[in-house]
Formats: sequence, C-alpha cells, structure tokens
Amino acid sequence: MIEAKGLGVTFPGGTEALKDINVRIDDGEFIAVIGLSGAGKSTFLRTLNGLVRPTAGSVHVGGVEVGRLHGRALQRFRRTVGFIFQQFNLVTRLTAIENVLHGRLGYLPTWRGILGLYGEHDYALAQRYLSEVGLAGKEHERVDNLSGGQQQRVAIARAMAQEPQLVLADEPMASLDPRLSDVILGLLRDYNEAHGVTVLVNIHVLELARRYARRVLAFNQGRLVFDGPAETLTNERAEQIYAGSLEAL
Amino acid sequence: MSWLFPALGVLVAVLTSVSRGSARRYLYAAGAGLLVAFFAFPFASALGYLSREAVHPTPAGLLPSAPWLVLLALAALAALVPWPLRVHGWVGGAGGLVVLALVLAWTTRPVFLARVVPLPGVMETALGLTVALLAFVLLRARGLPVALVATVLLGGATFGLLASPAGHTYFPRIEGYYKTFVPVSAEETRALIARYNAGLDKANALRAEIGLKKLEPIRSLVDLEGGLPKDLAREGVRLVRPASLRYGTLAALFLAGLMLASGFFLARNPGLAEENDLAGGLVAAGVFSVLVPSFYATEFSLAKLVEGWPFFVNFLDRAWPPNLADPAHNVFPLQEVASQMALTVEIALVGTFLAMLFAVPTSFLAARNLTRGSGLTRALFTLMRAFYNVDRGVDTLILALVFVAAVGLGPFAGVLAMAIHSIADLGKLYSEAIENVEKGPIEALEAVGASGTGVVRWAILPQVLPLFVAYTLYRFEINFRVSIVLGFVGAGGIGFFIQNAMASGMYDQMIIGILAIVLVVNLIDFGSSWLRSKLV
Repeated sequence: MIEAKGLGVTFPGGTEALKDINVRIDDGEFIAVIGLSGAGKSTFLRTLNGLVRPTAGSVHVGGVEVGRLHGRALQRFRRTVGFIFQQFNLVTRLTAIENVLHGRLGYLPTWRGILGLYGEHDYALAQRYLSEVGLAGKEHERVDNLSGGQQQRVAIARAMAQEPQLVLADEPMASLDPRLSDVILGLLRDYNEAHGVTVLVNIHVLELARRYARRVLAFNQGRLVFDGPAETLTNERAEQIYAGSLEAL
Repeated sequence: MSWLFPALGVLVAVLTSVSRGSARRYLYAAGAGLLVAFFAFPFASALGYLSREAVHPTPAGLLPSAPWLVLLALAALAALVPWPLRVHGWVGGAGGLVVLALVLAWTTRPVFLARVVPLPGVMETALGLTVALLAFVLLRARGLPVALVATVLLGGATFGLLASPAGHTYFPRIEGYYKTFVPVSAEETRALIARYNAGLDKANALRAEIGLKKLEPIRSLVDLEGGLPKDLAREGVRLVRPASLRYGTLAALFLAGLMLASGFFLARNPGLAEENDLAGGLVAAGVFSVLVPSFYATEFSLAKLVEGWPFFVNFLDRAWPPNLADPAHNVFPLQEVASQMALTVEIALVGTFLAMLFAVPTSFLAARNLTRGSGLTRALFTLMRAFYNVDRGVDTLILALVFVAAVGLGPFAGVLAMAIHSIADLGKLYSEAIENVEKGPIEALEAVGASGTGVVRWAILPQVLPLFVAYTLYRFEINFRVSIVLGFVGAGGIGFFIQNAMASGMYDQMIIGILAIVLVVNLIDFGSSWLRSKLV
C-alpha cells in the first residue's frame, strides 16, 4: 500500500514541484498518472522510490516511510521497487541479460555484486523475464545492437527481475514509436494482472491512460487535481485539467 | 635591408585588400602596435664603457633628446580614433608617411651623448597592472566583487613586493628599469672630449708600463663608437647611436608600411571595413607585440642560417652512406640500433603500464561526480587534483635527471620518470571520462538498490573502459617519443646510442638511429590510432 500525506517537494532553485499531495493506493492497482510535462508526475514517481526526497509531508510504501531511509536501508527498499525510465537507462555496452541481472544486484552481497557472481536463481529469473517480454534468444546480444522497443523491454525485464512490490514507469513510451505504446503498456498490464504487483505509469496521452488504467491520477502545477476511475475522466474534465496548465504557460 | 620591412607591410596590406579583407583592421592594429613600440621597443643602442653597460632606449625614453618623436605616438593614436571610413583612410595613410619620415630622420641622426635618467617605479607599476588585469579577466566569472578585490589585492601585492627593498634585492634590474635620455649639451660634450684628451698622456704612460698600445686622442664622438671612456660611463653618460637599428625600429618600419598602404586602400574604397575591426586589430597588435621581442630574444637570424648551411651539408656528407655493419672492426651499428630501439619501446611500455596501474584507482577519486558524497571524499578529490597538477608540471625529462642521480644511469631511471609523470596525465584524462559518463545508467543502478561500488562497477566502468584503453594507447604513443629523448639524459635507449655516436663523430652510425626513429614513430602512431579507432 502506498500512502502520501501532505507530500510536497520544493527544489533547491525554489521551484515547487509537488504541493500537498494526499493519496492512497492499494496493492495490485494499475494506475495512470497524467498531466502536462512539468506538472509534477515525474517528481511524484521519484519520491516513491527515494530518487527525490520530500521536503514536506511524508510518503509510505509498504509501511516504510521512504523519505527517512538512508544508505543500506534505502538500497534494501529500492530493490523492491522497479523503475522504468523514459530513456531506458541501460548500460548499452553490456548484453541484454547482463542488464537484466542488474535488477538482482540489490540482493547480492557487495563483493559478489562487484565480481558479477550471480546465483543460479538470479540467472533463472533474468532468463524468465527476458522471455516474458518476448526477448528469448536475444540474451547475449549487446544492448546497443537492439532496437528502441527491444531496449525498453530489456529495461522492463530488469525491473521485473527485482521481483518488486511496486513498478514505477516514467513515460516509458515517450522515446518510442507511438505504435509500440500498446506493446509496452500491454506488458505492464499483463505483469500487473499475473503477479498482482502495483504499477504506476506516467502517460501524457490521455486516450492510452483511459484504455489501460482503472484509476487515473492527474497533476497540474504540482497539485493532484483528479483522482478517480478512468471512466469518470470525461473529455470535459480532462480539458479542464489541461486547460489550467495551458493558461499557466 | 631595412627598406624590406615597410615593403613587407605594404605587401600584407595589398594582399589583404585584394582579397577584400578589412583594411581598417590593419589601421587599428598598426596604431596599437606603434603605440606599444613607442613605449616599449628599443629604437637605438646606447653604449657605455663595458658591453653590458649598453642600454636600448625607447622612443618615449628618447623624448628629452628628440621631442619630435612624440609625433610617432600621435600618428599611432590618430589611427586608433574611429573616424568616418574615408577620413580614417587618409589619417592612416598620412600617419604611415609621418612614421616613415620620423624613422628616417631619427636613424640618419649622428651619434650624441646623453645622460641616463631612470624613471623610478615604471616596471613595478607595469607588472602590477598586468597582474591586476589578468586577475580581473580570469576571475570576472566569479562575480564583480570577488574580481575587484582579487584585482586590487594581487595587483597591489605584486607592485608592493617589487617596489619594496626586498623586491629590489631579488630583482636588481627592475629598479629604474625604464630610462630616459637627456642630451648632453654641445659645450659640455666638447668639454668632456677635451677632458678626455687631456687625461690621455697620463693614461698612455700607465699603459706603456704594462705593454698596452697607445690610445689616440678623439676628434669627434664618432671615434667613441667602440665604447665610452670609463669615467664618462660611470657618470651615467651613454653614447646614443640612432643609426644602429634595433627591432623596435624595424617593427615601426613594418607597421608604417602597413598603415600607409591600408590607409590608402581604405580611402579609395571605404567598403574595406568590418564590424569588429577594433577588437581584431587589437588582438593582432597584441600578438605582434609579443612575437617581435620573442624573435629578438631567441636571436633569430636568417644570416646565421645561411652561414651555417655548409656545416649542415658537411654533416650530411659524413652521415651518408650509413655504416650498417663493419665486421672488420667488430662494430655492428644496425644490430645496435635494433636492440636499442627495442629497449626504447620497452621503456615506453613499462612506463605507461605502471602509470596506468596508479592512474586507474586515483582517477576515481579525482572525478568530481563520484566525490560529492562526503567531506572526506571531497578532500580526497582536492588532494588528487592537486597531485595531478603538480605532477603534470614536472616534465619526464626533469624527473629522469633526478632519477638518474638516484638510481644511476640506465633504463630504470627512465621508466620511473615516465611512470610518475604519466600518472597525472592519464589520471586527468581518465577522471574526465568518468565525469562525462551518461547519467542514466547510474540513476537506474541506484534505483535497483545497487551499492555505491556496484554502481561504479556496472554503470560507470563499462562506459569508461574503452576510453581508458584509448587514452592509455595515446599516452603510449607520446611516451615512446619521450623515451627517445630520455636516452640523451642517460636513461637508456636509442637516444643514448645517438648521443654516443654523435659525441664520437660517428655520423654514419647516428643516421641509422635517426632513420629508425622516423620509421618506428610512424609505425607506432599508425598502429595505435588504428587500434583506437576500433575501440570507440
């Protein structure tokens, strides 16, 4: 379960990225987070795995207050949260399976991590999730030889290999051909349904959010302006959400 | 020969105007250059008793003796005023003519006696201002208050130190470095000559006792061109010889030609001007003002090159054909060159390898993005960077001299010197590679809960490793060329062979070494750049 109370983030430059966010998300939900760029979607996701620290309020994930974690405890928490980036953030000189195995680093003692001494179980998981995203046979292909869509699927497999309690995807289709959106979102929804893991996806295409998510969160200038079932997000309502930000621009 | 210099100036102006370059830029350049020459370049030599007492007056310093030289400065200043284009052309052309006439009038003037009057504090002030200006330019990015404080403090400290008694002890020539030359009146000159001639009998009597030849009485100052009598020189009098051309005179002639011709072209075609002419002209004048004294200081001389040519031909003559082997005398130079060359490559290999061994771990401490974490790592960062900067400043050759003294002649000294100097160079390149890695994978590995070392191992190392290899190869290329020279200070290898062959006049053996170097340098450069292109 995720619970944010009065969550706020102000960056050192003085920009208020998030203001007084209160939200509760149950385990196993599939949630789309919408809003224009700069509305605070990314910052919200990043507070959930501690890449950004709250400057006000708190956020609990699985009963742990993320903002208070440091060092070893933060690493132990992060290994339970998969994060999928817009730019994939793969180590492109390494092979697909090596990148997926990175998802297991949080479970290895440091010295084994440095030497890359993964266990049988780790290899089995990496292999399984690579197959799950449809890349069986590409294990030993260097990532910079893969297409953009394949690279993002490697990144998804890396998140799955963490065996996470929560998957966060920050605009996972934004750098890809629009036709690949269904592939990526389909993978994430199947994973959500098969494993019961909570998934939060940042999307700026409204239609996709409606099609895949049961629940939608909408951000505008750092505030949570909509929280409800996807069906209640009427065109009228959506226009209001976006209109406000357009005026602010 | 001196007419060549204005002709060269005219030629530069003509070529530029023909290609539609800016003539006005040259007016600014020549104006600024002439101004520098007026205050800082020598326009004559002034003899004393000993050759080291000779001084070289600037036009500004000569003003008491030749007030009309001020026209030089005025012509230069006039060219720096942003007149309307056509007027600017005429002003520049006229100014060029004036300068030519001034130089002609000055250099045809007969020798005269002048008393040296040093201006105190000129050099101290000039150096203080230079430091202040540098401080301001370099620190302006850190904000105006910081820059101003640093300017005043550093400039003031420089001036204060130089002008203090301590400064005058350490740099004795700085005190009264800038000299003016006040002419000795005609009557006084005659009186001085008379006094000198009167004292001759006594002097010649003394000289006869110790077997020196008799000194002739002098009729005019021209007789003194070999040097002034001792007592006159001690009084601060110098014999100024306007006809002896110094580099300042030649520079002024060149600039006058440039100004004259550019002015003429600009007056005829005002289109020969561009937007940033003043800035461009000042930069050109700055480069000119630094280059000209440098040529003088390095004793650049085409004449000496021509004189030396036969020696060069003789050298080649004795070097060819190469003596590849001489079994009769049991010398095998080609064999020797081959094994010394192998040793040279080996020195470079071991030196570079040792340097890499130390540079890889230290470069991670010298990368800003990895050391932001805590106070300790930031301190290590500063320490590493300081070590690199000091180490980079001490050249391999200097280190080799030190190590030859410590561990004796031979390749080991060379290897040590090379390894230590290359650590800094490689470390700096490595750490910059680390600082420029893609941030994405680092963020991703942090997000999966990997430890700090895990992030370095899996997000950073795979990205920088090919660059590390490329930089190491590149350093090996450099180190090979360095190891050639190392032999000359006794640190082994082909340089040692060449030095020996040269010292014993075996030019026909030395030439083999030289040819081998040309061959191997090219082979290694080619091979290493081919390898590097495969890596990145």
